[in-house]
Amino acid sequence: MKTVVILCTCSGIITEKIDWDTVRRLLENHPVRPVFMTDELACGFDSREHLITCLKQEQPDRVVVAACSPREHEGTFRALLKDAGINPYFLQMVNVREQVVWVTEDPVQAASKAARLLAAALNRVQRHEPLSERSVPVKTGVAVIGAGPAGMQAALTLAKAGREVTLIEKEPFIGGLPVRFEELFPNLDCGPCLLEPIMGELLHGSGSGRVSLLTMAGLTSVTGQFGNWNLTVRQRPRFINSALCIGCMECAAACPAQRPHPWNGSGNLSAVDAPFAGALPNLPYIDPESCLRLRGEECEACVSACPVEGSLDFADAGREITIQAGAIILATGSVEKQDVPPLFSGLDNVHTGYSFERLLAMNGPTGGELLTSVATIPRSLVIIHCAGSLDPSEAPYCSGTCCRAAIKFAHLAQLKASGIVVTRLVREQVIPGVEAGRQFHQDGSSVVRYAGMSSLTVSGSGADRRIVCNASGNGASAEMIVLMRPVTPGSGTSIITALLELDTDQAGFASQLHPLSGSCETSVKGIYLAGSCRGPDDIRAAFATGTAAAGLALSELVEGRDLVVDPQVAVVDATICAGCRTCIPLCPYKAISWNDREKISDISDILCRGCGTCVAACPSGAISGRGFTREMLRAELEGVLS
Amino acid sequence: MSCQTSPIDLKQPAISDERATRPVKVVAFLCTWCSYAGADKAGAGQLPVPSELSVIRVMCSGRVEPALILEAFQKGADGVMVLACHPGDCHYKEGNLRAFCRGELLERMLPQLGINPLRFSFAYVSAAEAEKFSQMTRDFVAKVSQI
Repeated sequence: MKTVVILCTCSGIITEKIDWDTVRRLLENHPVRPVFMTDELACGFDSREHLITCLKQEQPDRVVVAACSPREHEGTFRALLKDAGINPYFLQMVNVREQVVWVTEDPVQAASKAARLLAAALNRVQRHEPLSERSVPVKTGVAVIGAGPAGMQAALTLAKAGREVTLIEKEPFIGGLPVRFEELFPNLDCGPCLLEPIMGELLHGSGSGRVSLLTMAGLTSVTGQFGNWNLTVRQRPRFINSALCIGCMECAAACPAQRPHPWNGSGNLSAVDAPFAGALPNLPYIDPESCLRLRGEECEACVSACPVEGSLDFADAGREITIQAGAIILATGSVEKQDVPPLFSGLDNVHTGYSFERLLAMNGPTGGELLTSVATIPRSLVIIHCAGSLDPSEAPYCSGTCCRAAIKFAHLAQLKASGIVVTRLVREQVIPGVEAGRQFHQDGSSVVRYAGMSSLTVSGSGADRRIVCNASGNGASAEMIVLMRPVTPGSGTSIITALLELDTDQAGFASQLHPLSGSCETSVKGIYLAGSCRGPDDIRAAFATGTAAAGLALSELVEGRDLVVDPQVAVVDATICAGCRTCIPLCPYKAISWNDREKISDISDILCRGCGTCVAACPSGAISGRGFTREMLRAELEGVLS
Repeated sequence: MSCQTSPIDLKQPAISDERATRPVKVVAFLCTWCSYAGADKAGAGQLPVPSELSVIRVMCSGRVEPALILEAFQKGADGVMVLACHPGDCHYKEGNLRAFCRGELLERMLPQLGINPLRFSFAYVSAAEAEKFSQMTRDFVAKVSQI
């Protein structure tokens, strides 16, 4: 095979130490018998045309460039080969500048090492195969799972860029958790007011035609890969014809059946209702468990009250929808751990952070008034930070957001119940941020350190109830108690990560490609993360990461631009693969799947990133790592050891 | 069945004159993202790297199968290094840990094949650890040339 070796002088930097003539003499007997060319600065613009002309004249089968690090100029020389009409993968670089010239004192040793590495490259390049990038047409639509702040922001950003978006939400309403919160940290913005314009834009704005919202919907299966995902979504019946219903809620007022309010933890809701006035989309939904008619009884109450005939649809059976999308954005959020630790279970006036938020909300069970279960104003409140967080037996991590909520609760309690004594029991306090500093300094609660949930004792009842820290003996009046429970993955997160076969961290949050530089990406190409499905985080981060995830989808899936697949991936030789499946769990990118028909492993070149871990692990040697095949590496070994 | 073989003296033997003068051949498999970048950085910093060392670049240390290392010994390598990204820093998430496990197993297997396990080294070198790369390769070549 005719091989050309381009010896670069790097403007004299290389030849200062290495005499290329000596190296050529050392390679005189190499069986490849290459054609040598010396160039002053092979990567330089001036050399480019000249080298292309020379290569076109010589028409070599393979090219070796002895110059600098391939990390710097492999791309340059591949492009040069391509322009000379040679397959760009017929190139092998020898790093003489960084790894010989600059690190070797003695010129004789440097020349001999350069010759050795060149011999290896000459051996290796003979085994190079012609490779070409593959183009795959992609769908540019995006499926967003979860319509909280992160998912809505991602969907809106994508829609504004002209993308078709399917927004899948498990609840009957959008807005996630903050739409249920009256005042948001740090500036006490009203949650619904903050989100209303965003939700409005999503439902009725200029881009809303490109957003298809599926409420009461959950993903049931996913196939395909980056650029071409096929999702199946099951939408539960709402029993409301959304095309007809005008959202007047006359039905709710007429409904005789009641059920526990699903958001408040106390109070009731009609069987056909929305959890608060202004919930979006502006449609009620029927709870089939409590609706008399759906339970088989005679009832016409809502139908009689409804001004638009046909709005109530008792025959609704839900539906299954298939969606094709190029990318998936996971925005399934997080929830506060809802159970109450044994020390507090069964006690009156004990809230979790979430139920306290609802108590403070205008659309909550008390209309926003801070009241005990017997409708009196509490005289004391104890807020327990880290009620489960930093606890190895519950959540061994800091939940990050609860200190902020706690300091907000203290502030709001004092506003709503004048004279209330607020005590915050803290293990650690994490309240970063400039605006947070104001809240911190204006905090009117007393702070008591405690050692952990097991170090607390509760005594007395009603207004005389006290919590005492066993070790210090410090105590506080605790007519009302708020437990800042740990933040855990939302129920959707575990379902979806399992369906998509995504890795999760120890707590069950979706694993990020990299905790610092890839926090909105997963190890699976084409699946991005937004909001607190990534780990406990606040609303600010939800919006920011929603934008970020949309940006990733926009930059990696571009209308009219095919996906270019790097050919340097692992490939399975079907005639050798024994079907042992050793490789499948090893792939960090889920690129290997089991082909049950042929009983072999299949590697997706779209998902494979070419690390070669499977190549090294295959007991049959059935997997080949293109660009770094066994034959190439053995030839290189042969060269450096000859 | 036990895998016991005749024990090999792991202590470094005394240097004989003949051995001391014979140039050694050491192969180092470097992952392109961390260790190879570290080696480049050693170059940029003009730090000494033994001329006996021959670097073979791979995308990930996880690509280096033990058979390749054994083949290096078979073809006359006096020492083989596999250098990887630090745990947690692997460009491919966990290839370095696979390489570590394979290295551990290989190290136990080498005596059975009559190869002094001191001739093999697995280590973590980051893209910033030029000094470490320089020192580690010099130490390894010095150690191997005394076996």
